[in-house]
Amino acid sequence: MFKTTQAMLGSTIINHRQHVGLQKLSALAGITHSSLGPNKKYKFIQDDRSGESALVCSCFRILENLELTCAVGQLVYRTVQTHQKVYHTGSGCLLFLAGAWSRVALECLQRGISVAHIISAMSEGLDVCFDVCRRFSISTERAQSQSSTASSQDLGLQVSKKPTVEGSQSSTEPKEKARDALKTLNACGQRKIRLSRHFSEAKSENISKESEDSQPKPPDIKYISERLSHGCVDAMNLVFEASRTQSNNIQQETSCPTFDITKVMTCVLPGLPEEHACVTPGCILLLSAEQASLAHCLKDRLLKVVLINGDLSFNYSHLGFKRPTGIQRVSEEAALSSSSKEEDWMEKVVTLLLNLEVNLILVSGLVSEKVIQRCSWRHILALEKVNVSILKALADASGAVPVTYATQLSKYCVGTGVKVAVWRDLSSYERKPSIAVNVSTGVNSKLVTVVLTSCIEGKLQALEDQFWACAYRLHLALKEKAVLPGAGVTEMLCIQHLQKRAERNSSQQTKRAALANPYRSVVLHLMADGLMDYLSTVMVNTGEFSKVQAWTAVSQQLQDCNQSPGAPSMFSEVFLEAEQEGRAVSFPVKSTDAPSTKVFDNLSVKQEAWRKASDLVFLVLQTDAEVITGIDLKTEAAQGNLMLL
Amino acid sequence: MSRFVRKAPSVCTDRPLNNSDVSTKLRSLKQLLTSCLGPTGRLKHVQNNIGGHVVTTSSSSVLLTSVTSSQPIIDLISSSILHHVSRFSDCGLFAAVLCLSLIQEAKQSGVSRQVNKHLLSLCTSYLQHEHCGCRVPVDLSSTQDLITLSLSVVSSKPACVLTEAEALHVSRLAVRAFLLTVPCGGPGPVTLGRTLSVGVEGASVLHSEVFPGLLVEVRDVFCLRTAETLRSDPLRVVLFSTSLAGDLCELGDGIIQVHPGVDTDSQILDQLLELCECVIRDGVKLFVCQKVVHPVLQQYLRRHGVMVMERVGLSLMEPLALLTGALPVATLHATIPAKAYGTVKEVSVKEFGSKTMLHLEPAGESAICTMTLCHRNETMLSELKVVCQQTEHVLRLTLKEPSALLGGGCTETHLAAHIRHQSVQEVAESASALGCSQTEYLLGVEGFCRSLEAVAAALHHDGGDSFMDLTHAHHWTRPADAMTENMEDNSALCCGCGMVQSGPTVDMKWTHLNTEHPEFSPAALLKDRAVQPRVLDSFTAKLNALQVAVETANLVLDVRFVIQDTN
Repeated sequence: MFKTTQAMLGSTIINHRQHVGLQKLSALAGITHSSLGPNKKYKFIQDDRSGESALVCSCFRILENLELTCAVGQLVYRTVQTHQKVYHTGSGCLLFLAGAWSRVALECLQRGISVAHIISAMSEGLDVCFDVCRRFSISTERAQSQSSTASSQDLGLQVSKKPTVEGSQSSTEPKEKARDALKTLNACGQRKIRLSRHFSEAKSENISKESEDSQPKPPDIKYISERLSHGCVDAMNLVFEASRTQSNNIQQETSCPTFDITKVMTCVLPGLPEEHACVTPGCILLLSAEQASLAHCLKDRLLKVVLINGDLSFNYSHLGFKRPTGIQRVSEEAALSSSSKEEDWMEKVVTLLLNLEVNLILVSGLVSEKVIQRCSWRHILALEKVNVSILKALADASGAVPVTYATQLSKYCVGTGVKVAVWRDLSSYERKPSIAVNVSTGVNSKLVTVVLTSCIEGKLQALEDQFWACAYRLHLALKEKAVLPGAGVTEMLCIQHLQKRAERNSSQQTKRAALANPYRSVVLHLMADGLMDYLSTVMVNTGEFSKVQAWTAVSQQLQDCNQSPGAPSMFSEVFLEAEQEGRAVSFPVKSTDAPSTKVFDNLSVKQEAWRKASDLVFLVLQTDAEVITGIDLKTEAAQGNLMLL
Repeated sequence: MSRFVRKAPSVCTDRPLNNSDVSTKLRSLKQLLTSCLGPTGRLKHVQNNIGGHVVTTSSSSVLLTSVTSSQPIIDLISSSILHHVSRFSDCGLFAAVLCLSLIQEAKQSGVSRQVNKHLLSLCTSYLQHEHCGCRVPVDLSSTQDLITLSLSVVSSKPACVLTEAEALHVSRLAVRAFLLTVPCGGPGPVTLGRTLSVGVEGASVLHSEVFPGLLVEVRDVFCLRTAETLRSDPLRVVLFSTSLAGDLCELGDGIIQVHPGVDTDSQILDQLLELCECVIRDGVKLFVCQKVVHPVLQQYLRRHGVMVMERVGLSLMEPLALLTGALPVATLHATIPAKAYGTVKEVSVKEFGSKTMLHLEPAGESAICTMTLCHRNETMLSELKVVCQQTEHVLRLTLKEPSALLGGGCTETHLAAHIRHQSVQEVAESASALGCSQTEYLLGVEGFCRSLEAVAAALHHDGGDSFMDLTHAHHWTRPADAMTENMEDNSALCCGCGMVQSGPTVDMKWTHLNTEHPEFSPAALLKDRAVQPRVLDSFTAKLNALQVAVETANLVLDVRFVIQDTN
């Protein structure tokens, strides 16, 4: 394997045991170490040329601000971008593991293991990890708050429903039996429920009583969201509020708690302290001071609304329309000036709006100053720069049909029942006076706005990112109806299983298996070390541990668990306690105390991040050359490391 | 004051192959392409010099299109390979590596081009001969061979980063898509349909699917409401290829003079509305336009329960016309004839990841299908798309010539062994016919066969050894880190294509590739074996690749002067 830089014109051969691409990947991952885990640290990124700087917190924002141009950098950025777009969380984990596993690949190359063997063994390792995720995932229906008695009953139901479980109903030691039962479930490859405290609470009479009740319980959003906050407690509280507001607004018989992320929007307000962040039903839009008095007039009335998808101005024409250039106007008299034409148009639009008795116009594009003024005189409030998704939501709720030109409007396009309320006067915080209004469609609308505030303007983006990360974590958990034990427990289990698999290999190595891949156990061990590195880095980021302490603590826990047989579920969560309770952790927690799961992770986010990390490593590992196109012979031929074609 | 720069004289290179610059570049090109070959081939990042978008690939079609050289000889080779790839999709790297090896061998031995040509004809006649030992018939009545064929193509591109299950899923999809493009029965000439592919980034490969009909992406979220109300069966469709934006797009650079009171825009709009009225009167339910439709028209049509799809793009127009049977309307100035309307059976909304698509199902029989390809990242998705197109092409070629060649390097080694054997048998006649000495002829044969074997050996990139068995002349490998030194000690292995298996009961001898061994006639495999080949290559593509490689090599060897205009 060679690492050659092969251009349209060039290349050099670098010692293959030091794969440059993998080194780059590992170095890139190193940048984001401190943004891992619940205790994130802010970073300044400064551009020396322009003097501009950005305050960033998440891995994705760091990459976004770095403007990476090298091939590996581009690959990493694209991958993280795709992940972020879909999941909004987990990018740090993705990049860290890409770095950790690229070091695994490098180590293997240095030991002389072939690329094909590295890839086959790492794929197997990944399968082991996914298997762990599948087996140890927790159903959200079962993940209920400890205080509710329903949880133990539920669990009884779970156990007794399974035909594979025998004798557990008559057992006097439900805890033991339940665990046995779960082992059986594992063997069948079914999803394992792994909340040991429920077992200890389970009463045998509950079990038989509840088994007839087959109605699935709605998930306890409060309980789940708290455990998915990952240190962003404030942001998660807002998410929970948003979910509660949505549920309250839907006045249906089955008031099932819901969370519809498509109907959530954020509004950032600089200048206010962070405690002012809140959740309101409806959508919050900012207005200029001139429109403020009009908004006051219109408040508490049910208004007719029209929606315009485009700009509201005389000169606007729809996308794809080209103004003809070759038109000459031939006339005997003096032609109408364009300003009078605009006047005609404006008159026509305003008359139309008045005839339709419209008091509110929501426009996705811009509204010209003149139109705003003219409308204000006639008590019509025109709001610009409204997101298209909000237009859609309001169209659905009010029955309005969005149009492109105001002249298209007819009575079929008008929506009804929209309310405008003055939400807050922001004149004291902003330099130019403005107010925020709340546009809502009353009951049965799930639209909620989360207002995020901060005195430091540079922090707002990080706050918004954190909010969306939490929102998506909850959304995904409810969608998948399953979560993983968090705070490193899943990783611990993966390490344990990877090591087990590796040892099984080396002990029972048949001739054939050895022939197929003699280095499998080495690679699996190294992969497990990558996960150890991940865990210890998260612990270091809590500020309570040095790297060495963290590593020792993790391996100590692993050893303890390996020594007590039959208790794979006994890992305690140590990494987030310090953060949540605001004090030093009592580590190591004895693995014999039945731990309660205080933190959850998302199943798909974790799996996808791992999968994408391994994709990156595989792509870079298998690459031995870069082809650079369009090199200028005269200026760049001097570069020694290019092989010219 | 103008200044004249004297034209630089043209540069003439005599015997370009002896030029050190040319040979260095040929070597780098060979190294670049050889390292890409096969399922364990190495990938290349392709990027421009300002650090733009990265493509990670190992396919010759992507790689060679981005490589241009200052040496015309390199461009000559790359363009002839690209031409082969554009016609046959498969075996581009095989052709390139073989061609470059042949050039290298012939440069060393100095053998006449006639020998290569003669050997090529020996190869083609053997491959087409009914007793050919490396060709297998493809059974079109079962999907087994077709799946093996497509799996061989799919797994030969590691830049897709597929697991075994994913690779199998994609190859099955490719076969299903291919079968959907074959029209059922009917007399007369059969025309194959088309497979379109839509890429969805971010989803798992296992979510990829094939649908009969067309999937068209919708960007306008507001148009979906009408999709649910369309119920009549079948739905009448009109297809416009002209812009309905309401501007004077046909004007070009011309000038028109109008009265100041005349509003051209509203006049055009009136004309368009008249057209729409007529379309609605004719009972059209689906209104498709390649370009922009004026929002007023859209609103008007929607009010009358017509679904509007605008900006579908040129590439979808032909499949849309095929699917619906509609004739694209290119003018606004004539009434639409009844025969210009087409039909679809059903329109439904489908969601894939972040994409919302409309699924148009054909009313009658139609050989058009859409493949939605999902992958986790952009560069892997683009390689997957290339691979799926390649697979479709290979399967189509198989329909014309229902046979395949054994893959995994076995065809190359087998062919080399056969050519060696046959040449030794007929050395006297051949040498005199070609007008060269017997030694020269045998030297040429050796070079030719070594080149073939070099392609087989190039399938391995981890430093393993290549072997050939002395019975069937199939290709075997022993990994570099294998425990045993001799092939004989490795129990229960099988050859590259999976047709020959070694075991304690089978008495078999091996030799290193490219080492001296007594020539022998390779035995054909028994026809009624239970063993199925694991790797198959397209017969048509490989045969053509062989011809392209030899002829390109001969052409390059024939070049005496290169004259370049340096201005």
